[in-house]
Amino acid sequence: MSEPTMRSPLHSFGLSEQAKPIDGSCGVWANELRHLGYISLRGNGADPAFATAASTAIGVSLPLRPCTFASSNGKTILWLSPDEWMIVCPRAQLSALLGSLRQALTDVRSQVVDNSGGYTQVIIEGRNALDVLQHVSVYDFASMEPGRVVGTTFGKSSVYAFRQGNGYRLVLRRSFADYIWRYLVRAAIPYGLGIADLAGSPLPEEGVPI
Amino acid sequence: MTNHRVRRPGVRVDFDKPLTFSFDGQAYDGFAGDTLASALLANGVRMLARSFKYGRPRGIVGIGPEEPNALMQIETGAHTIPNLKATQVELYDGLVARRTTGWPTLEFDLKSVGGLFSRFMPAGFYYKTFQNQKLWPKFEHIIRQAAGYGSAPSEPDPETYDHSHRHAQVVIVGGGASGLLAALLAGRAGLKVVLLDEQNECGGWLLSSPQSVIGGEQARAWLKSAVGELQSMPNVQVLTRTSAFALHDMNLVLAVEQLQDHLPIADRVAHQPRQRLHRIRAERVVLATGAIERPLVFGNNDVPGIMTASALTTYLNRYGVAVGKRVLLQTSNDHAYQGSADLARAGCEVVLADTRTRINPAWEKRVRAAGVDVRTGFGIAFARGRRAVTGAQLVKLDAQRNAIVASGPSIDCDALGSSGGLSPTVHLYCHDGGRPHWDEERLAFVVPEAGRAKSGIYAVGAVTGEFGLQNALEQTVRVMRDVLGSLGKSTPTSSDNLGTDEPEATPARRIFRVPDGRAEGHGKKAFVDFQNDVSAADIHLAVRENYRSIEHIKRYTALGFGTDQGKLSNVNGFAIAAHALGRSIPEVGTTTYRPAYSPVTFGTLAGAHAGDTFEPRRYSPMHAAHIARGAEFEPVGQWLRPWYFPKTGEDMHAAVRRECLAARRGVGIMDASTLGKIDLRGKDVREFLNRVYANAWTQLAPGKCRYGLMLDENGMVMDDGVTACIADNHFVMTTTTGGAARVMTWLEKWHQTEWPDLDVYMTSVTDHWATAAVVGPKSRQVLAKICSDIDLSPSAFKFMDWREGTVAGVPARVFRISFSGELAFEVNVDANYGHHVWEALMEAGREFDITPYGTETMHVLRAEKGFIIVGQDTDGSMTPLDLDMAWAVGMKKPFSFIGKRSFARSDTAGPNRKQLVGLLTDDPQVVLAEGAQIIERADAKPPAAMLGHVTSSYYSPELDRSIALAVVRDGIARRSEDGRKSGRDVLYAYAGGKAHKVTVVSPVFVDPKGDRQNV
Repeated sequence: MSEPTMRSPLHSFGLSEQAKPIDGSCGVWANELRHLGYISLRGNGADPAFATAASTAIGVSLPLRPCTFASSNGKTILWLSPDEWMIVCPRAQLSALLGSLRQALTDVRSQVVDNSGGYTQVIIEGRNALDVLQHVSVYDFASMEPGRVVGTTFGKSSVYAFRQGNGYRLVLRRSFADYIWRYLVRAAIPYGLGIADLAGSPLPEEGVPI
Repeated sequence: MTNHRVRRPGVRVDFDKPLTFSFDGQAYDGFAGDTLASALLANGVRMLARSFKYGRPRGIVGIGPEEPNALMQIETGAHTIPNLKATQVELYDGLVARRTTGWPTLEFDLKSVGGLFSRFMPAGFYYKTFQNQKLWPKFEHIIRQAAGYGSAPSEPDPETYDHSHRHAQVVIVGGGASGLLAALLAGRAGLKVVLLDEQNECGGWLLSSPQSVIGGEQARAWLKSAVGELQSMPNVQVLTRTSAFALHDMNLVLAVEQLQDHLPIADRVAHQPRQRLHRIRAERVVLATGAIERPLVFGNNDVPGIMTASALTTYLNRYGVAVGKRVLLQTSNDHAYQGSADLARAGCEVVLADTRTRINPAWEKRVRAAGVDVRTGFGIAFARGRRAVTGAQLVKLDAQRNAIVASGPSIDCDALGSSGGLSPTVHLYCHDGGRPHWDEERLAFVVPEAGRAKSGIYAVGAVTGEFGLQNALEQTVRVMRDVLGSLGKSTPTSSDNLGTDEPEATPARRIFRVPDGRAEGHGKKAFVDFQNDVSAADIHLAVRENYRSIEHIKRYTALGFGTDQGKLSNVNGFAIAAHALGRSIPEVGTTTYRPAYSPVTFGTLAGAHAGDTFEPRRYSPMHAAHIARGAEFEPVGQWLRPWYFPKTGEDMHAAVRRECLAARRGVGIMDASTLGKIDLRGKDVREFLNRVYANAWTQLAPGKCRYGLMLDENGMVMDDGVTACIADNHFVMTTTTGGAARVMTWLEKWHQTEWPDLDVYMTSVTDHWATAAVVGPKSRQVLAKICSDIDLSPSAFKFMDWREGTVAGVPARVFRISFSGELAFEVNVDANYGHHVWEALMEAGREFDITPYGTETMHVLRAEKGFIIVGQDTDGSMTPLDLDMAWAVGMKKPFSFIGKRSFARSDTAGPNRKQLVGLLTDDPQVVLAEGAQIIERADAKPPAAMLGHVTSSYYSPELDRSIALAVVRDGIARRSEDGRKSGRDVLYAYAGGKAHKVTVVSPVFVDPKGDRQNV
């Protein structure tokens, strides 16, 4: 029997093989951030017991302001709704984080769910990144402040989007990944799309802290 | 060929860049900056269309979207575009244009013969003639052909389109003088501004009157510096060739940008879209949409060479084209005066007939100085000429009443322009509910200057009735002060010098239809709407036939129905209708202005929603494995699922037969990843399940699974699936593939709105889990090869149990559940490992000839067992009892469950309901059509009493005969089973003209005792 190997949602596009270092040759650079850990966390943010226990277990303060995210020690917590967060972490930390969260929240009304198979992330950078986002989504990305995360449209599908570093991150559902990637590629045609080499850039690779 | 070109200062065509183009197969010359219309006029082309009903020769009337006649077929093959207005087509080298009307030819149009069609086609022709609908198809073909208009391409569109979502503080629609000034003021205040203009450059009317003066400098100089300043501001975006065609609620402006239509096809950039739809959300919308001159209505006013006075002026000043050498202008107001002087200075012989007796002395002085022959108090009774205008008969008008007091001179001319005043472009203001109001002084439907400030919609310039340049500019400053103030910005007090050299305006004469001394309908035809051949007499006829509402008059006469949407004709039509009705214009009102302002291509509306991005396609994590095995796929909702896996030479029937038998006798494997999965946790999760499912969940122990029916408030089945107890406070629910999102929303809704006190949270994990169902008598042997930490023995791992363990080296949840009635294990793993585990199961199953199967075999296997598919065997009107599934309803639960109360409704509790049954055809080889109607007698003729219909129908390889599921009135009591005959079991299934005899039986065809799934 072969060793277990993971296939990310955008595996079939062979993005790793096409990747090259970001330069000025393309207006838009994108790639998939593969194999991260995704934890769905639900609970009452207004309940200090929940917020404290969750923050302590994660090691990052739970963002309580609507549409904001917090990032530290390789972990990013996205506020999704008044009682829902998504924690993105390196795969290597997933199991430990699930364990500590469940333990910390044993007696608190909450839900901790491993959703790592269900999501992936796409990074979009480059001088025309904003143009492309204007093509694919109704959200006013031009006015997006740092630290904000939004759930918004992507063509006829949806994503969670936030700004990080020089670009934007999209968190998307696995089964929609093919459609979203094709839509992104189509929207980027007028500007030229490059597949960004994420190694050597300050972007997190699998298991590497951000 | 006559050359009509005039070199004038301020002209916007580039005489250093000559171009060639063709019209109806003949080559012509033009210049960069021309429109197709200006180039045709420069070449002396007058007649380029035939009219819709009467086949009358027609020429260019306007300069923009108001053009009713010059509809062109542009280019050929896949690039061809029908019905573009020549006035809006920018000329490029090599452009190919053809007429769209004239049948059989432009020179000889059948409709024009002896008024043949005019006698046949009065107003209301369609209504009168085709009351008998049977005639319509016969006539439609010939009418369509005779009417003409362009053809859509038959090839796929080679070009692409996209959408862009923008957000601005201020959107300004229209880049004329007022719009530019508004943009300058907003831009200087630092606001995020988008300025839209539909033409190839900003300027609006200033481009037609470059000698106007603004602030002491010539308009073209002012224009240049204004545009330059706007372009230098990073917070201002100027989009030209961008037509705002709709204004929707919440200040959403839709605009189409022509990115490539002005380029020769060979020069178009392949990776750029042809057109882009901008969807702009704005805090404030400033409408600076200007006005369109309306012509006067007089006899034979449709002869080629007759246009609006502003069109004659524009062709001269902007395009350097003097349409005629001897020009007759007819006006009721001051607007035609500047143009008449310009035409005279350009060398034309100009007669200006003003319907007014008292005219503007300042203008009179200026135009007489230029050599214009001014005749006051005269109107045109009718024009002369057929394929080109040759002159007109003037009449002396009464000073007050619109009546003739004496005959007038006959004037020869080769171009004729008329002005009946300006009609503000109020369309966008009216799209989301606004109504224009009639301004009797300005003789126009106008938008109030304050717009709808509450909604953030403002208006400046001619659209508000401010037709004078200086007044419009001063008003713009005033309104923009409000706009900026409402956004917390102040306007600098030292404003620009906006002085102009316009004389003060003299009131216009209130005249729409110039009298000819004859009763309406008895003189020469006087057209209101050129594109639909609606004459003043037609409107009078409609009123005589008792149409009172302008909306009805519009529909009866077709006034304003063309691709120009009545931009020239509507106000004249309203005024003539008001006159005929003996009412005031405001009493008559306007018809409704709806988007789109001007035609928009389907491609633009579709944008990127085309080809492989037309609709979201969802894929399972094992999709590549199915492709590698040659699967045929079928869409299930948005998912693409394997349908069947044909081997070489197999058709679907053969493949499904092989797959079914493998699952029943050996081992099959199916991808069940698409099923909806919801993780539920909390102290009260059991109680929550008790309420949302019909059956009871209190006793289900950890490690066990149960099938549940979910009902809506009416007690009807809305979804079903298996839910597993992971721990006392933790369950995982599965839903149907298509129902996943609906069920998730449903659960959240009930929890949030009705039972927030229940301690339960739910999260969709549909995409997290990849699911492989290993099915068949040999499935245990297959799984055992790659799963060593779960005891798979029948005694340790029973039917409807689940276990946690490791499969192919990956953490897995294994469910012993079955949708086929066979021994089966559903293996769930993190979707990133889905492909790996699928391949490992295929490898482990190789010695057992493991057979992948798709949705078709799944359907056959479940139908053989009588397992329903929600949405196929149910339709929102089936209760669990109708499905004979009382076992899945827990009536004794302490709290109610959704739908329970509705069971007591008289109809739901009553007799003779449609119920799920099995059907066996007399002829075992006949597979009934799904949807076939169930009737009582073979010889029944429609309409016959319909007892129900076939919901599922297949050929069962296991039984080697056809089987079907159906819903039938009182079906359960009709069933014959175990050799017991009900006596009412023989019915007929009717489809496609044939009735097949069937016997009503239990829906469980295979293994009725359910032994096989328990082995």
